[in-house]
Amino acid sequence: MDLPVIQTPIFPRWVWMEEITYSHIPIATMITAFMVLAPVFEYVGYRLKDERYDRLARGLIWFAMILFSPGAALGTGIPMWIMGAYPEFWSRWTNLFFWPLIGQFAFFLGEVIFLFFFYYLMWDFLRDRKRLHIFFGVVAAFFGLLVQFVWDAVGSYMLTPGVPLPGIETAVGWSAKAFFNPSFPYLFSHRFFGNISYVMMLVGGYFALKAARKNEESEKEYFSWAADFMFTIGVIAFFAMPVIGWGYARVIQINSPVAFTAIMGGHASPNFTIKMFMVLILAVLGVTYLFVRYESRVLHGGLTAGVLSVAVFFWIHPALDVTGGAAGWRILHTAVPVLFIGFCWFAARKWDHTAKVWRRIMFVAGLAAFVAFLIGGFVKSKARQPYTVYQEILKPESTAEEEDRFLLHERCLYCHPGARVFDGYRDRDWQSLVRAERDRPGVDLTDEEAKRIVKYLQEQYP
Amino acid sequence: MTPIEFPFISAKGVIGFFGLTHTGVGSLAIGIAFFVTVAQVMGYRTGDRRYDLMAKRAQLINVCIYNIGTILAVGLIFSLSGLFPQFWSQIFVHMFWPLIVEEWLFFLLATTITFHYFFWEHMWGHKKLHILLGSMLTPLFILQVYIINAMGSFMLTPGFREAEVSLRTGILGWDPQMFFNPSNLMLNLHRAFANVAYGSFIIAAICGGMLYLTGREKMRGYYEDGGRLAFGTGFLAFLSLPIIGYFYAHILRSHANEAYVNLMWGKGDIIAGGIDWWWTKHLIVAVMVGGTIRYFHATSKSDSALPVPSLFVYTVGTFYLMFYLAMGMIMTWAFFFWMLAAALAGSFLVGHLVRSGGGSPRGVYLLIGILSCATVILGGYAREAARPRFENRISAHDKVYVPEERAPYLMVDVDPSELPARPPVPAPEVEEGVTLIRRNCSGCHTLDRVKYYKLTDWDLIVEQMRGYGLKISNDEADLIADYLRSNKPY
Repeated sequence: MDLPVIQTPIFPRWVWMEEITYSHIPIATMITAFMVLAPVFEYVGYRLKDERYDRLARGLIWFAMILFSPGAALGTGIPMWIMGAYPEFWSRWTNLFFWPLIGQFAFFLGEVIFLFFFYYLMWDFLRDRKRLHIFFGVVAAFFGLLVQFVWDAVGSYMLTPGVPLPGIETAVGWSAKAFFNPSFPYLFSHRFFGNISYVMMLVGGYFALKAARKNEESEKEYFSWAADFMFTIGVIAFFAMPVIGWGYARVIQINSPVAFTAIMGGHASPNFTIKMFMVLILAVLGVTYLFVRYESRVLHGGLTAGVLSVAVFFWIHPALDVTGGAAGWRILHTAVPVLFIGFCWFAARKWDHTAKVWRRIMFVAGLAAFVAFLIGGFVKSKARQPYTVYQEILKPESTAEEEDRFLLHERCLYCHPGARVFDGYRDRDWQSLVRAERDRPGVDLTDEEAKRIVKYLQEQYP
Repeated sequence: MTPIEFPFISAKGVIGFFGLTHTGVGSLAIGIAFFVTVAQVMGYRTGDRRYDLMAKRAQLINVCIYNIGTILAVGLIFSLSGLFPQFWSQIFVHMFWPLIVEEWLFFLLATTITFHYFFWEHMWGHKKLHILLGSMLTPLFILQVYIINAMGSFMLTPGFREAEVSLRTGILGWDPQMFFNPSNLMLNLHRAFANVAYGSFIIAAICGGMLYLTGREKMRGYYEDGGRLAFGTGFLAFLSLPIIGYFYAHILRSHANEAYVNLMWGKGDIIAGGIDWWWTKHLIVAVMVGGTIRYFHATSKSDSALPVPSLFVYTVGTFYLMFYLAMGMIMTWAFFFWMLAAALAGSFLVGHLVRSGGGSPRGVYLLIGILSCATVILGGYAREAARPRFENRISAHDKVYVPEERAPYLMVDVDPSELPARPPVPAPEVEEGVTLIRRNCSGCHTLDRVKYYKLTDWDLIVEQMRGYGLKISNDEADLIADYLRSNKPY
């Protein structure tokens, strides 16, 4: 199959792709999070007879309405770009996933109809039939989540394809193994909690700033309340992330080991490190604020347990296979959370949560969550390079160097985990080292592969 | 490439569903956007807030249906990818860059429409600016649809040879020969005016429906005035359609003859379920013409927002029918009388509706709105179905690139010397006379000039031409004269 590939001007192909996807994804995730949260808030307000919840839910949906059309318009750009820039991938991928994509149409249509007509427009009309209105909101959210469900399935396939990507000679349309591929449940739950967490922290931070700008006392009070409410749930929802992330990393390590290496120390690791740094910022700022803001011992205890359990996850984190399980790392990963929690208990007694600086801190934490979310998606797509679908179809722009790197990692890292292992042999003769490796049982390098690996090692680790 | 099989409804049915529903919603969005500006300007100039409220409500409809149109387009893209994979990937060879531009226009439109509606009150103090923002929607929409229309018109009047040439020389993803294909302009004009008519008629129909539902006197006046404005706007746009349609049909006759024949004689997919949908559409239009003329006649004396003297309406209506009759060009007498009957029936129906509604235009608005929706859907269907069998047309398109030569010359940065030699094309068998005429007669004048002379003494004329300096032998002169006498084509 030899479809012509569009040559993109100014920037390389992947920059255009990332530009269009990263303009769509934040909008789409925000809308989905709003749709999931709004009926819940509305229901809480209905049960508690508290008008503030209803106003909050309505505000979120109003914002979702504004975001919807631009977001959907940007979304249609994604297939356009893929068709032109990655035509072979698109043909084979739609051949494999035709029926999910048609389902996607139905789900999206349901989302639009219920969100726009039955939920947003009916808000006042169904004021006396609150339960019915909430039900419509739940249906809208259900459709929204179905849309996300399908996208996460077909998207996770690209990183951990459960089955080979079929050609175009035979019509496929549906494959359960490809749809429910290994990393799909992890990607879906990671995104579900991630979206709720980042959106709530970001909107909470924004409300905190807004509260400062309001002059009316009642408005000020409402926005302060909304900011605290949103931000708190956002931080608590965040604690699901390390747990899911741990399983996600494991699944990638088992099913797409080279991509895992790329993230943990390989070519995608700088991005991943920045992401984790952002996570650190949001976690430290968020948890500190909760300690200072609330006096509840239950909450303090829960947060302590949460942070310490994250420390435990670091002990058994797959990444430690790569770093060799160095004792220093474990001590660091234990000491820092313990010290941090101690600091939080101290701050909870000393600091005043009404100080204005907390509003900015909340906003900064929300921004950090947003950036962490953005980079996370980027890491996922960068880890696959040079493949569009892991080990199934190369990107048209992939270079020989990238392909050689992939070969090296694929063949060598099973026994020598961690991309940094090659650094230790910089002054050695790669030719004889590789020849010695080839004599080991189980190493079945062809001559051509061995040549490529030696060439790559000589160039990269001289 | 192997297409996916779609059960129950065929692949064509799926595309038809997505294409027609998307067109129905998309056209409505364009029309409504135009009407919103008209109503806003009207409200601003007259100081009557009700027009502004009407505009706002219309824009709310637009905001809500916009995304339904989007998802129908996405469904169309997905199903084309799976059901017509070869056609769809090849369209991108020609159309990638226009589609990307279209995509950005789409985003700009979505943002503008959202901003225009949701910040209506926020911009109350800057009304002129707000109206300007809303008025940007119509040109943006027209520009966006211009690109989609280029693709649609290409499918009806492709001009394959030219497309092949520009593929060899142009940039990948942009094919001006294909883009500016013969029927591009006419399709664009036709759709632009039809969308405005359709969108405005639908707003009027909604007003008509609300008139049935509302019981309050104040609201009745609101819907009547708003509906009248929308109805008038729609009618003015509606008038231009037969004129454009006339030229459109001419273009089809010369550039897509088979499609033209299918339309006019009701062949192929135009007939579905035993009904000729193209002429059905025209009967509906005739009902609309008869009905609107009657409506304006009945209401022109009243004090309306849009003063329409009956003389004007009758003149325009007559022109309308004239163009309409001319457009058929091959119309049978039977159909002519059917059309007249339909127009009369429309007139009687509207008369009855106005009378039974106690002078209220509600029934008329509703009727014309529903009929205009039907004409848009049927028009779109006819255009798609007119192509001589969809699949065949696609396989004809495929002949532009047979697989073994596709790879090299579709890549942009290929060295021309690497192109495989074209397979020898056997020269068409033509008689010697034809060759001689083509070679010798078109040096000084066109062949049309030769064709102009009928029943002429060709020996004399050929001798005259030799006198002017034509260098041919006596045998050749005889062959030419004999061939010209035979009245065979050349």
